[in-house]
Amino acid sequence: MITSTLQINGQQVSHQLPDETLLVELLREHQSLTGTHVGCDTTQCGACTVEVDGKILKSCTLLVAQIDGSQITTIEGLSSNGHLHPVQEAFKECHALQCGFCTPGMIMAISHFLKDKPQELNDEIIIKALEGNICRCTGYVNIIKAFKTAALKMYPDLQMLTEA
Amino acid sequence: MIGQSILRFEDDRLITGLGQYTDDIKIEGQTYAYFIRSEHAHAKINSIYTQDALSSPDVLAVLTAEDYLNQGYQGIQHVPNPADAVDSSRPSFSIAKNPQYFVNLHLPLAHRVVRHVGETVVMVIAKTVLAAKNAAEMVVIDYEVLDAVVKADDALGEAAPQLWPQVARNVCHEETFGDLERVEEKLRHAAHVIERRFINSRIVNAQMEPRSAIGLYDEHQDSLTLISGSQGVNKQKQCLLEALKLRDDQVRVICPDVGGGFGPRTMLYPEQLAVAWAALRLKKPIKWRGERSECFVSDYQGRDQIIHSTIGFDHNGKIVAVKNTWLANIGAHSVSFVPPSNGMRIMTTVYDIPQACVNIKLVYTNTVPTGPYRGAGRPESHHVMERMLDIAADQLHIDRIKIREINLIRKDQLPYRSPMGLTYDSGDFVANMQQTLQMALWSDFPKRKQESISRGKLRGIGLANYVEAPVGAPIERICLSLKDNGHLEFITGTQSQGQGHETTFRQVIHHYLGFALEDIIFRSGDTQFVTKGGGTHSDRSMRIVGTLIQNASEELIARGKSIMAFIHRVESKEVQWMNYRFEITKLGLSMTFLEMSKALNSSEIDLQTLKTELNIESPLLQVIADFKGRIPAHPTGCAVCELEIDPQTGEVQLLNYTSVDDVGQVINPLIVDGQMHGGLAQGLGQALSEGYYFDSQSGQVLSGSFMDYGVPRAGRIPPLRIKFSEDPTLLNPLRIKGGGESGITPATACVFNALANAMNSNRRDEIPMPATSSVVWTYLQTIKETHE
Repeated sequence: MITSTLQINGQQVSHQLPDETLLVELLREHQSLTGTHVGCDTTQCGACTVEVDGKILKSCTLLVAQIDGSQITTIEGLSSNGHLHPVQEAFKECHALQCGFCTPGMIMAISHFLKDKPQELNDEIIIKALEGNICRCTGYVNIIKAFKTAALKMYPDLQMLTEA
Repeated sequence: MIGQSILRFEDDRLITGLGQYTDDIKIEGQTYAYFIRSEHAHAKINSIYTQDALSSPDVLAVLTAEDYLNQGYQGIQHVPNPADAVDSSRPSFSIAKNPQYFVNLHLPLAHRVVRHVGETVVMVIAKTVLAAKNAAEMVVIDYEVLDAVVKADDALGEAAPQLWPQVARNVCHEETFGDLERVEEKLRHAAHVIERRFINSRIVNAQMEPRSAIGLYDEHQDSLTLISGSQGVNKQKQCLLEALKLRDDQVRVICPDVGGGFGPRTMLYPEQLAVAWAALRLKKPIKWRGERSECFVSDYQGRDQIIHSTIGFDHNGKIVAVKNTWLANIGAHSVSFVPPSNGMRIMTTVYDIPQACVNIKLVYTNTVPTGPYRGAGRPESHHVMERMLDIAADQLHIDRIKIREINLIRKDQLPYRSPMGLTYDSGDFVANMQQTLQMALWSDFPKRKQESISRGKLRGIGLANYVEAPVGAPIERICLSLKDNGHLEFITGTQSQGQGHETTFRQVIHHYLGFALEDIIFRSGDTQFVTKGGGTHSDRSMRIVGTLIQNASEELIARGKSIMAFIHRVESKEVQWMNYRFEITKLGLSMTFLEMSKALNSSEIDLQTLKTELNIESPLLQVIADFKGRIPAHPTGCAVCELEIDPQTGEVQLLNYTSVDDVGQVINPLIVDGQMHGGLAQGLGQALSEGYYFDSQSGQVLSGSFMDYGVPRAGRIPPLRIKFSEDPTLLNPLRIKGGGESGITPATACVFNALANAMNSNRRDEIPMPATSSVVWTYLQTIKETHE
């Protein structure tokens, strides 16, 4: 058994857990934070993406034992004081989700990418940023649109390059 | 409100992580199921040793098919033969006189023989998932490996392994549709005859939510509940209660949020039945969550059809007859025959073809069962027809557009009855094609090709016309009922898996009854209140439910008029429904539904007398509307794809994709656009990257994960030019045709036409599907070799 203390969405939580417990299991089973989804168990689909100590990681292949003392942000902790994060807003406005299963992971990955103002943004950069996340419903068209919309919400003077 | 891009009601919970998919639901005292799956494609099970597993810590049960059968239960009766597309009172395939027709009961766990890799064999129930997995390691299954066959054409061979003793050469059913003799007569006299064989590749559904299920048994009520994502709870309930021999009132099926459907989740799965059975047997809540590696070898799969096409042309390039033979790989169990059934009806697509016939063989193989996957048979038929036209144009020296113009059904031919019995009531096929070609700048293509050549690239352009046909469950029910607080409750038997029903149905209800969207309570996906319904698949939901909402609204308004008339003691014909209000002009009175609801709740109205006078037994403002049959509708359009191949690597780059789509009236453009994108992505995925490969000797699956099965990633969809057109259908009040499958239906056809155009390969064998860079590179090498 391990003892783990983590800051999850700003709250400190301590658990006694079996050694092999994965972060996603802790979030879903012990914290009832079921917005973090398991889509593949093998780091391929990105549905379980969360932020750990400022890094964006896939919680389905991360042992809790590896990250003792870390600060975790999940989809449930992204909005603040009842205000949606600009990426969440953009997802709704642009119809960037259908079934919604990949959505929390997508939003976590994008909001992390946009945490610091990018120097510039175009489709190529966005597509690269979405490399780790799979969606089966949207064809990504509206996800890319939401990415840009959110970027401009956060950084109105951001240079958005159009493709040739 | 209709035609507006209203933002979705479902999104607030889904973007904040508050959606509730099956695995998100936690039941007090839940235990966990884990399945041991067959590692062989075909094997006899000599014995299963479970003793060590059973005595391993925290294990509650280790169950096999023997345990299930000993309780007198039976396998799932899938009813694979669908209702006919035209006459829904009869099945699509005429099986009655076929002595070899054999539909197996699909057991929750394999009994004595395993027939595909991934088939469930043993179920371990334990207090934790880990305990169940650890115990599973201790189960010893003694298999005697048998020869396996994975391809439909191989399965027909005399020496081929036979899956079911009742089914000689694995052909479960064979039937010819259309007039074979007349077709052959026409082909004999045709000026030109073109033949080609097409292998439409197998597809993995790969919805993002791995299938999951929770079984609950209530001892006091002696009732069973299955909580599990699906495409329709009523069909699942029916299959479940038949298998477990329970009464209708003993089974409840609940479907929470669903992480993608696309067809295969319409049918019940062995794991769902197993979990329900185990809950009943152990009297404990039992949960199962599939892992992705399980999904790849157990989610019902799509396509895998081999179609041989023969088309005869006259001297002018006009088609005189089409003859297809269609081998449908149904997999190891008879789960669904929908794809060949759909493909048969639509085989002549948008062309005026006097004679057609198709011979269909439904073939068992040692593979995961197949069933409907987005489009289900329609993309396959369109692929064949559109490729054949390009091949014919090449061989007959006719322009590709010209040969289509010669053969397209003209608007003045409508209503047009196809040789396969469909009647197209609307659709401007010629105009759709012309508009698409203009938008795609088709005529300037040669210039762009030259430019590509100068960069050492092969550039191609292809087009495909398409039309769809209405199929799916031929029943539906909705219920509208006014609540005391003035809110309108809407219950529907259709069920969203991402299509946004909570939004679009509200828009339609608002249109007819004027309720604010927020005042409409949306309910679906639970057999406790959804007493009847066909679920969501095959572009059916808005067309059928929209019609039912119109019917029910009319009835609700008529009721309201009678109630208003009763309250004010006037004739009901003196009550008008205007601007979403009931009005009695001569008295200067008016009332909304909300006010009426309040009035009915006040003590001033004698409800009993009102009910007697109106002759209504149910709540006064509750209307149930039922539907049975078909509402014909034919979504149609045209698509053009332009691409470039790098001959050094075989990599295909899609440059742009253009389409004009007649989906009928658009209720919510934002949502319909999304459906187009999603369908298109799946079509492009099949065309270019989604390859499900087997070792043909052992039947082992070689592409069982996202690492080796190419679900499209961001960037796969090229710049789009999509435009909606509408040639209105008069066959349903909202003029709905359907938009869920428009993206996918022409997609592989138009990509493969573009590939053949780029490689100038219409006179060669077909490029294998999917055309991955390795496939294309290899194909280019064979072209080079034959030139050398």
